[in-house]
Amino acid sequence: MRRHFWKWPIPTYLFLGGLGGGIFCLIAVLSLCVYPTVEAVPAAMAWPGFLAIVALGFGCLMLVADLGQPMVFYRAFVKSTSVLAWGARLLTVCMIFGLLWFVSYIPWEWFLPVADFFVPFRAFNLAIAGVAGTCIMLYTGIFLSTLKAHAFWATPALPVLFTVSALSTACAAISLSAGWWPAPQGIYSESALLNLLAAEVVHEMVHIVDVILVVCEIVVLLVMVLSFLGAGNKTANRVAHKWVHGSYAFAFWGGMIAMGLVIPELLYIGLPHTVGSTVIAPILVLCGGLLLRFMVVNSDERAPLPGEDLYFKKLPPKDAEFITKWTYGENLF
Amino acid sequence: MTRYCMVIDQRRCIGCHSCTVACRTWNDLPMDIVYNPVLTEGVQGEWPNVHRNWTPTLCMHCEKPACVPCCPTGASQQDADGTVWIEYDKCMACLACVNACPYGMRDQSKMQPHLHRFVRKCTFCRDKREMDPDAQPYCVLTCHQKARIFGDLDDPNSEVSKLVNSVETVRLLEDMGTGPQIYYIPDLGGTR
Repeated sequence: MRRHFWKWPIPTYLFLGGLGGGIFCLIAVLSLCVYPTVEAVPAAMAWPGFLAIVALGFGCLMLVADLGQPMVFYRAFVKSTSVLAWGARLLTVCMIFGLLWFVSYIPWEWFLPVADFFVPFRAFNLAIAGVAGTCIMLYTGIFLSTLKAHAFWATPALPVLFTVSALSTACAAISLSAGWWPAPQGIYSESALLNLLAAEVVHEMVHIVDVILVVCEIVVLLVMVLSFLGAGNKTANRVAHKWVHGSYAFAFWGGMIAMGLVIPELLYIGLPHTVGSTVIAPILVLCGGLLLRFMVVNSDERAPLPGEDLYFKKLPPKDAEFITKWTYGENLF
Repeated sequence: MTRYCMVIDQRRCIGCHSCTVACRTWNDLPMDIVYNPVLTEGVQGEWPNVHRNWTPTLCMHCEKPACVPCCPTGASQQDADGTVWIEYDKCMACLACVNACPYGMRDQSKMQPHLHRFVRKCTFCRDKREMDPDAQPYCVLTCHQKARIFGDLDDPNSEVSKLVNSVETVRLLEDMGTGPQIYYIPDLGGTR
């Protein structure tokens, strides 16, 4: 059976899209719902916001790189009913409004007229970016789960898993970067001290949220994989076997469950306010999220047609490369 | 209303791959693309009670194709007569449709020029039918065993309609809910 049509840029894009969307979702919730009157909180999260824009932009680059023909990417915006087209639109909206929100915090003197212009629209821009970000988080999972040819993707648990993972990785990224520039730095001014305080509040908040999210992710992941193992159809069952005690078992149990979820959770709970919980645990969560996308996208088995495996095994391996060399690289077909 | 479908009589297929060759020639396909592979599970049973059958495949031109709604550019389309096809100028080769197809009947050639990639699939020789509405696909014309029969399922006098309504037929991966329009008369089957 021919498989793995999507190479590494797609899981990377799904990870970065979820991460960027999740960061904007959390910034919007914390700034507009939890601390709506504290100006220093969104300012402390301006740098994570910038990282989210970079993640979304780099994710889009991954998408374009996967196409192999950059000048036709605009076609992705055309059809209204396609999940992929909605994803492209949401990414664009989130990046544009996120950028407009971020520039209002840039403290460069020569840039102040532009920054000041966007200050009154901060809440509006952040709200739009937050809603679009939330939709991006949901979309990455929904996109795969609508491709029902692949038994392991076609489950309602996948969007839930990707959303929880996106929020968890977003918490980790915010935890690593909250309070940095363009928020006021140092300890000699009131605004800088306020920023330190706000950053500490944000760290505490995302720390607690991530502790809960990691537990949720472990539960959803195990429920999804083990239910496929026990009650999935033949194809999904085969993939679940591969994950639980097959070729992916080491990556699943060792990489995703232990290093990506359980150890960060223990570090969060057991070593609060240390390097373990503020640096190592978030980095492990981020690596676990990336590994999850790679493993899921690579598990693209579908129900084989009778004799399909035998047919494609019979074809000479690397025949396309051979013919290309044989014809001196010219397209002679 | 016209609704094209194909009936494949597995009792007649001898696995000669003529349909594959005819399709590749007519459609001028790259070396790494096959629209209609003829599959077999090999020899079944134990001697002397051995048996072998072939499953000629192609795009199933499903009633509810999974590959059409997922296409972000609108390149993947379905005609009113049920033919599913790709408008190459619109395709950006995102491979969403390739991943959506439960039958694996779409692919992108690795031999295409780098900046002009698109996904390909069987179109029931749509280009040929545009010139002559009664034209038959090349795989049907070339099958010397008459194992492939093409026609309008909604026409009660067509051969395909008579076969589908009188002989036991099966469709591949019917549980996917896409309503494939390729009907197989299984080997060792019979009349109802």
